[in-house]
Amino acid sequence: MDNGMESMLDTYLYETNSLLDRLDEMLVADEETEDFSTDDVNEIFRIMHTIKGSSAMMEFGSLSTIAHRIEDLFFYIRDKGISSLAHEHRKELFNLMFRSEDQLRGEVAKVESGSPLSENIDEFTAEIEGFLAKISGNGDSSQDEASTAGASGQTAAEDDSALPDDPQAACFIHIFLEEGVGMENLRAYMIVNALKEVGADFRYYPANMDTDSGTCQTIIENGFFLAFDSQENTSMAEDILKTQNHIHSYEIVEPAAKETTQPEAEAPAALPEQPVSAPAAKEAPAPKQESGAAAPASHAPVKQSLISVNLSKLDSLVDIVGEIVITESMVTASPELSHLPRDSYDNFMQSARQLRKLTDDLQDISMSLRMVPISGVFQKMNRIVRDMKQKLNKDVRLTVIGENTEVDKTIIDSIQDPIMHIVRNSMDHGIEETAAERIAAGKDPQGELILSASHSSSEVVISISDDGYGMDAGKLLAKAREKGLLTKPESEYSQKEALGLIMLPGFSTNQTVTEYSGRGVGMDVVKKNIEAVGGTVSLTSELGVGTTITMSIPLTLAIVTGMKVTVGNSIFTIPISNIRQSFKVRNEEVVLDECGHEMVDRMGTFYPIIRLHRFYNLDTEITSIEDGILLWVEASDRSYCLFVDDLIDEQQVVVKSLPSFFNEFGLKNAGITGCTILGDGNISIILDILTLYMAAIETI
Amino acid sequence: MSNQEETLVQNVQDFGESEGKQSIERCLTFESGGLVMFLSTEYVTEIINDYPITPIPLVPSFIKGVINVRGRIFPALDIRLCMGMPQLEYTNKTCIIMLNIDSTVLGIVVDSVQKVMDIDLNQVHPIPIKRRQKLLDGMVTVEDGRVLMSFDYKALASGQYN
Repeated sequence: MDNGMESMLDTYLYETNSLLDRLDEMLVADEETEDFSTDDVNEIFRIMHTIKGSSAMMEFGSLSTIAHRIEDLFFYIRDKGISSLAHEHRKELFNLMFRSEDQLRGEVAKVESGSPLSENIDEFTAEIEGFLAKISGNGDSSQDEASTAGASGQTAAEDDSALPDDPQAACFIHIFLEEGVGMENLRAYMIVNALKEVGADFRYYPANMDTDSGTCQTIIENGFFLAFDSQENTSMAEDILKTQNHIHSYEIVEPAAKETTQPEAEAPAALPEQPVSAPAAKEAPAPKQESGAAAPASHAPVKQSLISVNLSKLDSLVDIVGEIVITESMVTASPELSHLPRDSYDNFMQSARQLRKLTDDLQDISMSLRMVPISGVFQKMNRIVRDMKQKLNKDVRLTVIGENTEVDKTIIDSIQDPIMHIVRNSMDHGIEETAAERIAAGKDPQGELILSASHSSSEVVISISDDGYGMDAGKLLAKAREKGLLTKPESEYSQKEALGLIMLPGFSTNQTVTEYSGRGVGMDVVKKNIEAVGGTVSLTSELGVGTTITMSIPLTLAIVTGMKVTVGNSIFTIPISNIRQSFKVRNEEVVLDECGHEMVDRMGTFYPIIRLHRFYNLDTEITSIEDGILLWVEASDRSYCLFVDDLIDEQQVVVKSLPSFFNEFGLKNAGITGCTILGDGNISIILDILTLYMAAIETI
Repeated sequence: MSNQEETLVQNVQDFGESEGKQSIERCLTFESGGLVMFLSTEYVTEIINDYPITPIPLVPSFIKGVINVRGRIFPALDIRLCMGMPQLEYTNKTCIIMLNIDSTVLGIVVDSVQKVMDIDLNQVHPIPIKRRQKLLDGMVTVEDGRVLMSFDYKALASGQYN
């Protein structure tokens, strides 16, 4: 029971949130053009209608009331057409809508956290009502119009199945819809629209079916009529009718004889689901007429192709698939197979290869299930930029590149806050305060913020760049000195290192704390969050030109392509993306410092050597640098060489975290991120090159 | 699941009202480092032997490493080393007892597993010596005159013992 309610709430939250996301997307896009398209007005109306209905069902009064008021507002706008709104009203409408969205989101957040909903929303609803009153002030006849429309609907309903009064018509088509399809008037109108698309010239009765839901009953009982001036048109229309859904039957009626010229033709009910909405939504004949039809139609196909799945179910699916892949290789590599006779062995291997292919496919698919486009995150940035533009009074355009780049869901969740933070920083501190300042610097008066995402081998690269002030390394150094964050003489800091200072905890370059940024918990948190998902952050900036912050994040956390290496009896896995080179050295190539730390020259630069067996205190016979092998590894901006016994091979592995029992030993800070099960059932430890460096070199 | 919880609740109640009465618990007895210990079978999920343990660096020596039990990875602790005794070569008698203690799953390596027997928890007395290590939290004399030690699984799982 409880469970049922829970899942209902889940569905509700999911639906409402995605509707609000959609609303946000539309509002931001429409604000650019300062106009709502007719489609969007309908869509907003529909969104509000859905939220109102589902909220009422879940008994979330405040949500339902707000949505109801907005629905009313958009009912009016839909009715009058957006063009009837004065310019200043439109601006106000956008602001009102953004605030309504925030209000709704706020309430939804309360539902999510289980706290009580706002009791008093009268003020806000009064505001919406006030706005509605204001815009309807100059056209208060709307009520009358609606009622006359209603009245005429009634009259139409009265004259039963008799043919409509249309002397010019050469031919009528009398159509009956399937029983119980619902919203008959709109469905009828969709059919009418589809006919209009192909350019047929005709009239339809009841004529007000698109605007008056009162005609529903008439259409259910008596069907509806299409009046054609010529026979050609009639036969053309007939072809179209055959492709339409929800038609139960139709007949062609000659007005003079009032006889059926053709036997009743069963509409092809079994036709494949055709997205009726597509033509209806694409073409917008007259804004007002199209209104109702697009609303229910545009919703249908979305529901058919997408389902929402609990993330934990996906996780366990991915886990199990990982196990299958491993078990499969355990079976096919089993030593018992060598006892098989030759023929059977070949047969077995043939089936095994087929199995391998299938499991590979299975793995690919299960991985792709978790991938979602990054557009959702970028969309939110759109909104932030829009809000800050107004608050800070800066003119900035946001350019988004590669929003369809797909990233693992868990990564999406963890990069949203960092990106938001950087965008806010750029808006607040990056872009010049005034347009005049920008013109003086010889730049376009409108600032630009570029959000881009792209794939590079096993990583997704997200960069956020602005064309604002840029960062002054000197200022950063001075600031760091003031805060006591410098670890070596100022003159020894390179440009890159100085810029990197901004990512230290407790560093905020702005003197004052603003609403959006400058609490001093800025970039260090960004860096931490990104590193937590195995990514790196880098920053380039040129004074007076702008700043670019680039984040490289592994595509997925669940699978890593790794190089297996041995040290004594242990097998370690090192992510292949971290490895630059593997090589052997001779004793004389190794250089020692005064404490005996080893270094080796690679392409003109010396890199420290970390002996894995020594650092992890493992027993191994290979202790001479000439017997083992060196791996030149790199992570973030750290580069060094790892000394291991031997390389085994390269393999894709499913990353598993270590049991939580080990948390207290701080292994994560010592280069051990997780482990994986190898084909033979043994466990291999996965190394994190960056933290290993920190633990081994920086703590010396 | 809920069944397990029920028995747990039952146990707690038994503890509360069992002054003077009997409180019989099925316990698994095992031997490690010359001591015979017992713990409630309720926490034992399985007993495995001859199993490869993958060592994990940088952890105390009594944590032997991790084991892969049907695709899941659990820590394995050697009870002998926990008690500060020297390492023994693992033999075919050496067993790993898999425990599930409040959803923390771990394995303990013991010298040998003996048997399952009923023990009256009211007969378990505290150990009359002040000690630093708390791997055992009581002792009991059973019918055949042997003295068994109550194994404090909770201290183990919560990481108190380190």
